[in-house]
Amino acid sequence: MPVNTGLADVSNDFLLAAVVIYALAMLAYACDFAFGRQPARVAGTAPAPALVGAGPAEAGAVTGAPAQAAAEVGAGAGTQAGAPAGAAGGGGSAGPAGRDRAGRGTVGRWVTIAVALTFAGLAAHTAGVVLRGVSVHRLPWGDMYEFVTALTCVAVAFFLAVMIRYRAYYLGLFVMVAVVLVLGLAETVIYTPAGPLVPALQSYWLAIHVTAMTLATGVFFVAAVIGITYLFVDRHARRVAAGRPAGSDGILRRLPGPETLDRLAYRTVVFGFPIWTFGVMAGAIWADRAWGSYWSWDPTETWAFITWVVYACFLHARATAGWRGRRAAFIQLAGFGCVLFNVLVVSLAVPGLHSYAGLT
Amino acid sequence: MTGLRLPPEAGPETPGADESAARDGFADPQRTAPAGRGPAGPRLGVAGWLRWGWRHLTSMRTALVLLFLLAAGSVPGSLLPQEGTNPAGVSQYYAAHPLLASILGRFSLFNVFGAPWFAAIYLLLFASLLGCVLPRTLRLAGSARQPPPKAPRNLSRLPFAVSYRTALAPEAALQAAATVLSGRRFRLRTGPGWVSAEKGYLREAGNLLFHIALLGCLVSIGLGGLFGYRANRLLVAGTSFSNTVTALDEFHPGRLVSPGDLQPFTVTLDRFSASYVTSGPLTGQPSSFTAAIRYSDTPQGPAHRYALTVNHPLIVDGVRVFLIGHGYAPVFRVTDGTGHVVFAGPVPFIPVETSGLTSEGAIKVPDAKPEQLGFAGLFLPTAVDASGRLASAFPAPLRPMVSLISYAGDLGMSSGPPQSVYSLNTAGLRRLPIAPQPLAPGQSMKLPGGRGTLTYTGYQQWASLAITYDPGQLPALISGIAVLAGLLLSFLVRRRRVFVRAQPAGQAGDQPPGPPGEPGGTVVDLAGLTRSDAAGGFEDEFSGLAAEIRTLYQGSPDPHPPDGE
Repeated sequence: MPVNTGLADVSNDFLLAAVVIYALAMLAYACDFAFGRQPARVAGTAPAPALVGAGPAEAGAVTGAPAQAAAEVGAGAGTQAGAPAGAAGGGGSAGPAGRDRAGRGTVGRWVTIAVALTFAGLAAHTAGVVLRGVSVHRLPWGDMYEFVTALTCVAVAFFLAVMIRYRAYYLGLFVMVAVVLVLGLAETVIYTPAGPLVPALQSYWLAIHVTAMTLATGVFFVAAVIGITYLFVDRHARRVAAGRPAGSDGILRRLPGPETLDRLAYRTVVFGFPIWTFGVMAGAIWADRAWGSYWSWDPTETWAFITWVVYACFLHARATAGWRGRRAAFIQLAGFGCVLFNVLVVSLAVPGLHSYAGLT
Repeated sequence: MTGLRLPPEAGPETPGADESAARDGFADPQRTAPAGRGPAGPRLGVAGWLRWGWRHLTSMRTALVLLFLLAAGSVPGSLLPQEGTNPAGVSQYYAAHPLLASILGRFSLFNVFGAPWFAAIYLLLFASLLGCVLPRTLRLAGSARQPPPKAPRNLSRLPFAVSYRTALAPEAALQAAATVLSGRRFRLRTGPGWVSAEKGYLREAGNLLFHIALLGCLVSIGLGGLFGYRANRLLVAGTSFSNTVTALDEFHPGRLVSPGDLQPFTVTLDRFSASYVTSGPLTGQPSSFTAAIRYSDTPQGPAHRYALTVNHPLIVDGVRVFLIGHGYAPVFRVTDGTGHVVFAGPVPFIPVETSGLTSEGAIKVPDAKPEQLGFAGLFLPTAVDASGRLASAFPAPLRPMVSLISYAGDLGMSSGPPQSVYSLNTAGLRRLPIAPQPLAPGQSMKLPGGRGTLTYTGYQQWASLAITYDPGQLPALISGIAVLAGLLLSFLVRRRRVFVRAQPAGQAGDQPPGPPGEPGGTVVDLAGLTRSDAAGGFEDEFSGLAAEIRTLYQGSPDPHPPDGE
């Protein structure tokens, strides 16, 4: 079927619009750091408010039994949904729940604007990716340009999910900077006009393998941004702990503690690692169907394997004394470095079976 | 005990210190403990040293280092040409950098994934893995039979804790909580004034399955390496071949494969067709390849037709045949100086670029008299004049022309190392004084000095086929699925414990600052602990549990009103 160039042009317009909207969202997240209210990070000293369920009188009225009500007191953990922000610190005895969900309820004006812009950008981005697919009558991740636009789309969607679940609005600026950079590069440097697939890619395994790789790369992208943020926060925290001058800490003071970021990065990798594993295995099955060998140490395969091993290192390192924290974060970033190297260097420059993924 | 390290009698260790690490997916206290306790005294003996070495090998640190080595060792395998995937690249590298190449070759860097040092890394890694996994399997089997530990005394110190006040008697309150917990399929253990519950044993099982399945992958790959084979065959349209060692261009047997093991099918290529994008910016990009073939399972068997395309292999007798390449084979007829036709037929040329499929090849005429003849040249599917140079503008044969350089002398085929059929060894040849001129189908070129004539009569297409047999394929697939299943289990399932303590309100040591209620009744403490919540979500489960128990304490009409104490 011929390529619908009109639709492909509309797709480009949407993607350009997405870059602009993301840039605006990035500015809004930055404005929140600059002008927004200080979050309640010191609120840990405040007593955790009691999470009163149904009051005794009410319960009594319903059941008719005398004084059969139970009062529930949040012992620092802030486990109930709707716990106010004051419960977040929990006076130092907070469980992971309390720490991860810090900042609940303190959504400032700038954050609202930024999140709305992020959603708008994601809508334009998704529309661009979908229209690209419609214009070429296939899944829109058949070449490098499409792969990058799709993986950033996944990254933004996943980031929004993480941000809303963990109230991690502080991540917005960092994710948006990275997304604007990558998507901008995709639009300018590696843009490829819409076209049909080369025969090697005409398989339903494209949908399975490349979709999984796109998803996992998008998730690892977010994990890497969290990891970089962690390294800055951790350095700041250690300087403060050592009593040394910590320098300008305007942004850092508004970020959560290193443990929260570390846990968030870990959970993000835990989410992405099985997807990556599945993607590599789907690729092996596809290679078996297409080339007759499920593993032939093609350079791209090799780097997917190296990436897998490095992320496995990260998962093990976090459970090994002496490797937690900074070292684990560096390993995680090395893993994403492998992902980037594979996408940007190996498939473009090293000859191999995956060469069609690149530019000619 | 695995995963959770709550001593049965003592209270819980302070959460926070070691908690985040131990909660992680792969935490294993036995393994994280360094192996330093090994050499106890000055005299170790052989057994002592072995035990010391084994402890070190199976420690997590060693496993980490080995994992890093595995990753780092793979890097040269992706950046240097490898004998298995790109033998031509290896010989090019040797030609370009002889000294460097011989050094790299000494360390097997052109065959990394078959190198002894690479095998040493992954075998050590798997030994380390086995040494960790097997004892854990035994421990898991043991811990699954044991009841959960006693509830610690001070539940409010656990990472998740709530406290209730209820009018139920302590026993009834405990009973209610136990009902909720067993309804959620926790394993229970009860004692005076407490209930402890545990769930999520599948997490360790998944972790073990993951690691054992990785071993399964390695074994499957080994199986393929021993009993499988790979072969290549270039087939010009109109010809056929049978699956025997002599008929194959390349044959890479597994270590335990003999030529007699090959399945004796035959394949004939009737026609090869390709289509290309004809307009727009992607002009020349291929859009489909099809090889129309006939095959029979045995030399005398009936022939079946099959349309072989990329991604759709032919499966015959457990062996798979893939379409992996294509190209052109111009057809030539050479008449020598004595007037005899000494060569006639198609000569496969190898594409050197993809946008126009410009192909290179060689014609060798050893029977020509008075001297052997050789021709090297280009085939241009769509020949155009690119600023004085001949080039191909499109991969389809729209204007198929050849351009040849002619040689005479000794082809060197009777002695010396075997040479490629796609290029001339010009050492014993001298170039004939005739300028290369583009020939269209049907055109001839008269060779100087009465050496005869070469006619370019037309062209055929060829397809290259890969023939693979791998008995490790199915085990590898099963192992792969098990790897994924184990991974998901160990990430999604969390091993968690929930403890409940109930006591009359007056005796409660640390009375929670609850709302003003009636004195008396029961104070119930509920606490949760998880060490392996990789995917998160225990906080939600715990609060759901707490809410459900609270509803029970408030809502259910109690048939036996509590006795006032």
